[in-house]
Amino acid sequence: MIKGIKYHFSVAVYYIKLSVLKQLEYSLGILGTIIMIPLIYATGILLLYFMVENYQALGGWTFPQLAFLYGLGYLSHGFMMVFSVQNWWIGSYVIRGEFDRMILRPISVFFQFSVRYFNIIGLMDVVVGITIFLYACRLVEFQWTLINIMNISLIICGATLIRSATFTIFCSSAFWTKRNESIVNLLNDFMERTTLYPISIYPNFIQVILTFIIPIAFISFYPSSYLLDKNVGLQIPINMALWVLMMGLGMFFLSKAVFNLGLKKYESAGS
Amino acid sequence: MAIIEVENLVKEFKVQKKKKGIKGSLSSLIKPERVVVRAVDNMNFSIKKGEIVGYIGPNGAGKSTTIKMMTGILYPTAGTIRIDGISPHKDRKQVVRNIGVVFGQRTQLYWDLRVGETFELLKRIYNIDNDLYEENINIMNDVLDINSIMDTPVRQLSLGQRMRGDLAAAMLHSPSILFLDEPTIGLDIQGKSAIRKFIAEINRIKGTTVILTTHDLDDVEYLCKRLMIINKGKLVEDGALQTIIDKISPHRYLIVDLTKETRELKHPLAKTVKQEGLRFWMKFNRSETSATKVISELLKNYSIKDFSIKEPEIEEVIREIYKR
Repeated sequence: MIKGIKYHFSVAVYYIKLSVLKQLEYSLGILGTIIMIPLIYATGILLLYFMVENYQALGGWTFPQLAFLYGLGYLSHGFMMVFSVQNWWIGSYVIRGEFDRMILRPISVFFQFSVRYFNIIGLMDVVVGITIFLYACRLVEFQWTLINIMNISLIICGATLIRSATFTIFCSSAFWTKRNESIVNLLNDFMERTTLYPISIYPNFIQVILTFIIPIAFISFYPSSYLLDKNVGLQIPINMALWVLMMGLGMFFLSKAVFNLGLKKYESAGS
Repeated sequence: MAIIEVENLVKEFKVQKKKKGIKGSLSSLIKPERVVVRAVDNMNFSIKKGEIVGYIGPNGAGKSTTIKMMTGILYPTAGTIRIDGISPHKDRKQVVRNIGVVFGQRTQLYWDLRVGETFELLKRIYNIDNDLYEENINIMNDVLDINSIMDTPVRQLSLGQRMRGDLAAAMLHSPSILFLDEPTIGLDIQGKSAIRKFIAEINRIKGTTVILTTHDLDDVEYLCKRLMIINKGKLVEDGALQTIIDKISPHRYLIVDLTKETRELKHPLAKTVKQEGLRFWMKFNRSETSATKVISELLKNYSIKDFSIKEPEIEEVIREIYKR
């Protein structure tokens, strides 16, 4: 067991190292993106501010609370961008036959796929997320107790897992259809609208879907409500943070199963 | 003992038929017309440990598809494959630990990084201990001069150098079977010769079984005692190169130079097919007679200055098989 973990860890570390080295070869190219990301999301939060200031609280959420949710949601987005952005490319991996080589190596294909890319640009998203979140924490006068720090850590882990796994599940459709660009774009927009804003602004049936069918509401909406002591009418039998982590793990294993099912349909590419 | 066994192997692909024009696109959107294409059609063969087998066939014959099924990349539609007794689809990890695969058209080396970086990754993935790794690198250095390219980024390597890197990468974990899919494609004479030497050496030193697909028949002539020819998904010939040639093309040409002009050259079993001045081309069937017999009989009636025998071109024979 320990030997197995050590083995996988050593492989993962090297895959990540190589992907970082590879990206550093073209460091100038990523400069532009690094400048763009904070701009895009700073405008996002400014928009929220003006909307709430000029009209009214959004779905019963004040600006500080909205910023808190936005920051928390954005953080898991950032971690997903760092660790599992390759999900978005399953389609092109399939078309170009890139899974061939992974299948030829004596270690899980899903594992190789999961660790083969560490996206440096995504670190910028994490920095933006941390900035917004810390700023929001000050606005809502968040208490940095040990329990809360643990809660936040578990929630971010779980939320990142839910987010990444959702992308893995939907993008694995490319094993059957060969393409997934449109799904990636759709899902990205959908995620942004459902994790950076409170879902209580949407009709009930959408909230039900986001709670019970695709558990996106557990990425930021329910955790923020829990941390901010807002009653949104959902009772969880155990601690919310643990629940989010468990959902994340559940989604992760589901996504692994879907991915492996798709891999059986994999047809490689002509030589 | 057979190290590779393939029985009744079939692979079918569903291909969507595209119709012409906007109307066609719309109708295939609503009711896609699927055609089943049989890429590999009931193949049977087995390969013994230590063999070097040439696996040839025209483009689209199903060579790569078979290789991909044997290595576990593709699932067969029907039939069984056993690599050293194990199915690559039941126990992929166990099988791939034992094989090395090189695709001539696609590298497994990290394009932007030093060759050595990919080697280190493979060392970790295959869990190769330091002693074995050193030993293999030394062998690869003797055969492929690998140390000279170890620190060069792959994108700066020539095609020949890159192929040497890929071959070495495939051998790092000492696989007992090596699948080479067009390893000499696009290489110059020197590059090709280096790859051929490598294959022969590795087979000699380590007893590695090699399955080689190629379009270069010189590769086959130089390396393979056994040739498998595939066409339209079927295994059409399987045997020693010379046996196949004799079977397909039993004719030989005898080229005779005479000392003085003659209107025609006659022999009951050899037919004159061409004449140019004093030179005659005569065609005979090797199963009916032999070159020495024809010559000695001709010498009785004609005054012959010189003669030579022309073997059939391998290429021509192969072309003949592809046409069938």
